Amino acid sequence: MENQIYKWINDPKHITEELLEGYVMAYADKVQLFGTHTIVRAQPKPEDQVAVVTLGGAGHEPALSGFVGKGMLDCSVVGDIFAAPGAPRLLEALKKFNRPAGILLVVLNHAGDVMSANMAKQMADAMNIKVKIMLTHEDISAGLDTPDQDRRGLAGCVPLYKIVGAAADAGKSLEEVYEIGERFNSQMATLAVAMKACTHPQSGVTIAELPLGEMEIGMGQHGEGGGGRSPLLSADETASKMIGPLMQKLQIQKGDKVLLYINGVGATTHMEMSIIFRKAGQVLQESGAELVDGKITELLTVQEQSGFQMILGKLDDDHVDYLKNHGSDAPYWTVNP
Amino acid sequence: MDVLTLEVFKQMINRAYTEVQAQETHFSALDAIAGDGDHGTAITEALAAVNDSAREGTEFNQMLTQMAMNAMTRSCGSTSTLIGGFFLGMGTAAKGVQLNVPQVKAMFRAGLASMQQNTQAKPGDKTLMDALVPAVTAMEAAEGDIKALFKAGAEAAANGAAATVEMQAAFGRARNLGERSIGHADPGASSWACMFGAFYNAIN
Repeated sequence: MENQIYKWINDPKHITEELLEGYVMAYADKVQLFGTHTIVRAQPKPEDQVAVVTLGGAGHEPALSGFVGKGMLDCSVVGDIFAAPGAPRLLEALKKFNRPAGILLVVLNHAGDVMSANMAKQMADAMNIKVKIMLTHEDISAGLDTPDQDRRGLAGCVPLYKIVGAAADAGKSLEEVYEIGERFNSQMATLAVAMKACTHPQSGVTIAELPLGEMEIGMGQHGEGGGGRSPLLSADETASKMIGPLMQKLQIQKGDKVLLYINGVGATTHMEMSIIFRKAGQVLQESGAELVDGKITELLTVQEQSGFQMILGKLDDDHVDYLKNHGSDAPYWTVNP
Repeated sequence: MDVLTLEVFKQMINRAYTEVQAQETHFSALDAIAGDGDHGTAITEALAAVNDSAREGTEFNQMLTQMAMNAMTRSCGSTSTLIGGFFLGMGTAAKGVQLNVPQVKAMFRAGLASMQQNTQAKPGDKTLMDALVPAVTAMEAAEGDIKALFKAGAEAAANGAAATVEMQAAFGRARNLGERSIGHADPGASSWACMFGAFYNAIN
């Protein structure tokens, strides 16, 4: 384990503040800072529309703050590297977005995020702030039958932000936005794979080192191990090994409309991701499923880890509409229908 | 020692901060085996915030609540919320400027109860609960004065943390590692055992 930092940073203590300052400077027409660690839209939406708020650690750029903007998130509350923001900071954001229409708080299932969200919600409830929590938990690496609370939330939150963000901006009520979002949330699944570990940007410590020539299916998005280690397989073999369980989980059938995203986590090239997509897409087509939304991109990264997350979602007509026909100007997700 | 005064409690907090800080790198390295390698930093930052709030404390309830809010504001991640929940809980059960033996026992029990509202982890899961639950239980069962109570807590926490080496993680991120999680102490159990050891060292 080396403690050498190979990154262009300044003082490791100030990584999060500095990256957020750079981000809002670059996209000043779209996003701005509220306080030191909370990203909000530069043009807030009307108060009669539901606000969509999320929270999470830094070090996963462009997630999560890259998806704040018209048609997606209203607010992203940032913690520190790989660490959830504390409840007091989240409460400040909930107070800022307090409105009769209510707030949808999207939480990825990781212990720190869930504890902060629950504690902030208790405090918000006591102040009569209307908040509904939606928990994402689509990682299937722990097994297809693992209970929701034991499955992590991975990059599947990003298409969910697009769907609930579009529904909220279209004027749907909090109950309607929640229902539309939960229908997608329960019909998506993600698997992650890695072949080379990352280092923690603040400590330089290597996280869950992988021996050369091996890969691990089920890696978490902080580089933590997932259990499914094997010798390195080819792109086609890896893609097949991942798309199979995802399709099984969602019981994909002929005629189903599906979304397939390959989310690179840092060091894996778009070349490799495209080859992976090719095989996974072929398997989907052979099953008779209709691929209506595909992406080869970096949504949520894990520093210099090499690997990717494969996200599969089963879509109904509402989801297709909100994903494809509603505009978004978030810096990392632009849609111009 | 028949009572725990506010001033002595502040010294215990300061000692806990100093001893945990001295092992910051060790706790982070333990966390890197199955987690994301930041536990040492997180617990040190949280205790630094708690220690700073001690300086302004004039009464147990107000000081413990302030410690909790300051820890959760200044540090991030689950460690911050767990420490915050613990001190918030302790604050609900402690008032005034000195506590007798039953009052100290009640304060630690309330801290644990508050944390258990935030996490489902239980002893045997290879988490900080493997140090904290035996510590609080031993403190409650201890006979004698304040010193005896903290001695029992420190020993139980240390034994609990040592026992996590042989455990397979059953909670949190490390759970996915299965058998590979065996062979190393849990970072949270280790840092909390260090804290309880420091509480006793401060008064011994």
